[in-house]
Amino acid sequence: MSALPLDAAANTDLDAGRPSRPGRRLPYFLRRPGGLFGAVWLAFVVLASLTAPWWIPYGVAEQDLSNRLALPSADHWLGTDPLGRDLLSRIFSAGAEPLLGAGITVLVAFGIGLTMALIAAERGPRVERVSSRLAEVLLALPSTILLLAVIGAIGVRIFIVMAVLGVMISAAVYRVMLGVAKSVRQRLYVDAARVNGLSSLRVNLVHVLPSMGTVVAVQAAQLYGISLLIVAGLAFLGFGPAEPQPSWGFMIQDASSYVFSNPWLLVPTGVVLALTVVAANELADAIASRGSVARTTVRRRRPPARVGATATAGARPADPGAVLDVRDLHISVDDGPALVTGVSFALQPGRVLGLVGESGCGKTMTARSLMGLLPDGVSVSGGSIRWQGRELVGLSQEDLSAVRGREIAMISQEPMVALDPMFSVVYQLTQPIRRFRGVGRREARQIAAQLLRQVGIVDGERVLKSYPHQLSGGMAQRVCIALALTGEPRLLIADEPTTALDVTVQAEILSLLRALVRDTGLSVVIVSHDLGVVADICDDVAVMYAGTVVEDGTAAAVLDEPAHPYTQALLAANPHVADGEPVPTRLASIDGTVPPPGEWPTGCRFASRCLFAQEQCTQPFPSVPAHGSGSVLCTRVEELSRADVTWTSAPTTGPAGHETAPAATQPAPTVGVSR
Amino acid sequence: MLAYVARRLAMAVGTVLAAVLISFLLVHATDTSPGAVRLGPGGTPERIAAENEALGWNDPLYVQFFDYLGGFLQGDLGTSLVNGGSIAADLADRVPVTAFIALFATILSGIIGVALGVTAAVRGGRVGQLITTGAGVALSLPVFWVGIILVYLLAIQAGLLPATGYVAFAADPAGWFRSLTLPVLALTIGGAAIIARTANAGMREALAQEHIRTLRAMGTPEWRVRYVHALRFASVPVVSVLGIQFIALFGGSVIIENLFALPGLGQAGQAAAASSDFPALVGVVVVATVVVVVINLLLDLVVAVLDPKVRTA
Repeated sequence: MSALPLDAAANTDLDAGRPSRPGRRLPYFLRRPGGLFGAVWLAFVVLASLTAPWWIPYGVAEQDLSNRLALPSADHWLGTDPLGRDLLSRIFSAGAEPLLGAGITVLVAFGIGLTMALIAAERGPRVERVSSRLAEVLLALPSTILLLAVIGAIGVRIFIVMAVLGVMISAAVYRVMLGVAKSVRQRLYVDAARVNGLSSLRVNLVHVLPSMGTVVAVQAAQLYGISLLIVAGLAFLGFGPAEPQPSWGFMIQDASSYVFSNPWLLVPTGVVLALTVVAANELADAIASRGSVARTTVRRRRPPARVGATATAGARPADPGAVLDVRDLHISVDDGPALVTGVSFALQPGRVLGLVGESGCGKTMTARSLMGLLPDGVSVSGGSIRWQGRELVGLSQEDLSAVRGREIAMISQEPMVALDPMFSVVYQLTQPIRRFRGVGRREARQIAAQLLRQVGIVDGERVLKSYPHQLSGGMAQRVCIALALTGEPRLLIADEPTTALDVTVQAEILSLLRALVRDTGLSVVIVSHDLGVVADICDDVAVMYAGTVVEDGTAAAVLDEPAHPYTQALLAANPHVADGEPVPTRLASIDGTVPPPGEWPTGCRFASRCLFAQEQCTQPFPSVPAHGSGSVLCTRVEELSRADVTWTSAPTTGPAGHETAPAATQPAPTVGVSR
Repeated sequence: MLAYVARRLAMAVGTVLAAVLISFLLVHATDTSPGAVRLGPGGTPERIAAENEALGWNDPLYVQFFDYLGGFLQGDLGTSLVNGGSIAADLADRVPVTAFIALFATILSGIIGVALGVTAAVRGGRVGQLITTGAGVALSLPVFWVGIILVYLLAIQAGLLPATGYVAFAADPAGWFRSLTLPVLALTIGGAAIIARTANAGMREALAQEHIRTLRAMGTPEWRVRYVHALRFASVPVVSVLGIQFIALFGGSVIIENLFALPGLGQAGQAAAASSDFPALVGVVVVATVVVVVINLLLDLVVAVLDPKVRTA
């Protein structure tokens, strides 16, 4: 599940939830059928070939002229060749040379390629430029033909020829390994080791090389297969051991003369050679599969269960004036933990709603579910999303795509990667404009220029002709907003729209959004972890913690009189200081981290980090109305407000809930805390 | 763009020079000599020494190298030690044979490989599994073995195509095409498998990109998301692998030419290696490198057209 790119999943190590079975000690790559086959077959061929002199039933040159070109029999398990020699004996006697020769190629290729890559990664760009140019030249040479020149010059000394092949292939190894070595070196601990004064050789041996193990193993196994094919190919051309010594390639060459009359002769040698190469490649694939288990499993999107708004007793009644009404929304990993439970909120036309909370609280999942754009393997498992009176949960992808862009549009976290790098801005804008508004090319271009002006881009003509990589982050986000406006949507979902931007640009983008709401009557759902953004732009706010809404209401009420301890804690940890107030000497922080999905406790999910947690917090309880039309999900809320205790005024002896915190390992039921 | 083209051109020239230098040094590392090769087993040490002197074998290496380079720039690759014929003239007849085989095989690998790889990435599930597993096996099969099996199936059993031999294009265009079909197919099986894997990985990566999500969020029709945007993104790695593939197929054609008795560059290389015909060996390496470099330059231009980051740099 490591492929899930969204915040809730990225912060959730779902792999950690998979219990490692202590009974199975096989390395991961042997647990895949391909890997097991590859390892077993390679081990068998190598062993059988190296020990051939001791077990083969017939001598390699032992002819039985009365039994030529025989099919398999009890005497000759794999049959005989045109001179009546036993194929089984010849195949396994021939094995040692290609198997060792390919090994030499791999050793030489890695000896040079890997060493050069480590040196280039360490010495920096100047050394790298020289060695990379050399590698490029070496890679562009036709290596098989060059090998012929080697053979012409030095004769058929196969191990030397294979070593030369290793030199040529080392360029390819260098190319792959350089990338890996550079990224490993960028990791912090390598720098730390260097600062600690370890010699460069030690840094490479102790820290860099071990991290490259998987890539090295994959490449080596693949290279071994390629080298086997090349040794066999050379022998096929006659550049192998001289008759009567057998070689795989020449045995196949021999078989090709008899393909009209005795096609069987092709089979045994060809199959052994092919299986050996397949084995090397399968082993490489299995080794490479680490961490990508999810990619190979078949993912089928489960049809979302449609659960009526009345299914849960705690759900609030539908809000009549709302354009968007989310009721008791549940989102979960298919056959896995819930990511969001019992989320409800409503959005009035022309208002801005903020979803706030720490990373991993399910904000982004909630926002994406509004457009049916959850990642593979994650789906809405209950509740309702009503958009302008129409139920969106359970709609087909086709029906949803009629809503997307036209009625609901989205701008994303990372403007720099949200635009297609292969197409110009003008193409990316005019294409949806023509689709949404049914206009021609020229008119679409005018509308695009106009949209760019609307999002505050002055030199629109230049930007239209640009490609995304030529834009700055702020500019790219403006283009993304213009793109979102192409379908004249009624709702804009903005997922952390300013997080990736510079502070000054952040303010500009926020004021642009504010102007759009004012001028066009757009409704906005904005996802943010930044309470400053919320205070700046939102009319309403829903504070999310561990997959559920803990407090909601108008932004003014929630921010001025936060009722839930989590909201209070967030505000206390917020570095924005209001005008006229003293700058605090030390910022408060919230001890602990958000519990990952699947490990949510019963009762209040914040209890383990809350200063006010008590026994009663571990029992399920309903939310209580607050802030007018809002609510708060805290069983002690009235008690705390009567006592006038807040997060910042509480004694700082640490969370009182530690003793009473419920066992975190208990699976979280999806009922109980829903409202 | 200009800087990019200039850099690629410089690389191309450097690669050809490297090929000349490496093959030149290689044949000088031999423990025999051109005189011995030319005179054969009947040559006495005195006659061999005289022959070597006449061939300039005893001149300082750099003199020989620049002599060769000067000749190469004028299209003169020397004469064969075995039959005394002009190497350049011989290879000029052979290059088209090998180049056509490699080019057809590359194009066919590209078409079949992209179709299979994209299908595997888009369909996923059992079809995707079947394609990726099949490709894994196909790229592991020895090309000469595949070639013989194709001969057995298509020429011997089905009788559709000639088993071996070459028909000149000028003599019989249809026959020429038929004579190249089996060799091209044999090379395509492994080539298409490699392209299919690249296309599959590229397409999966493309479909996981953030900008694809933006397109979906805009309600873009799925065919356009896949076959316009994701495919365009995946095309860059596919085209660069096609370039590497062409080099591999060009080299691989040595074996295929031997199997199908085609008068190509590879056959000349094999003969020259077997007879230690040094000038012919150097000639084959240099000519093969020139062809590979030219094709790669063309592919670099294709990449530049496809990738705006390269084009606008």
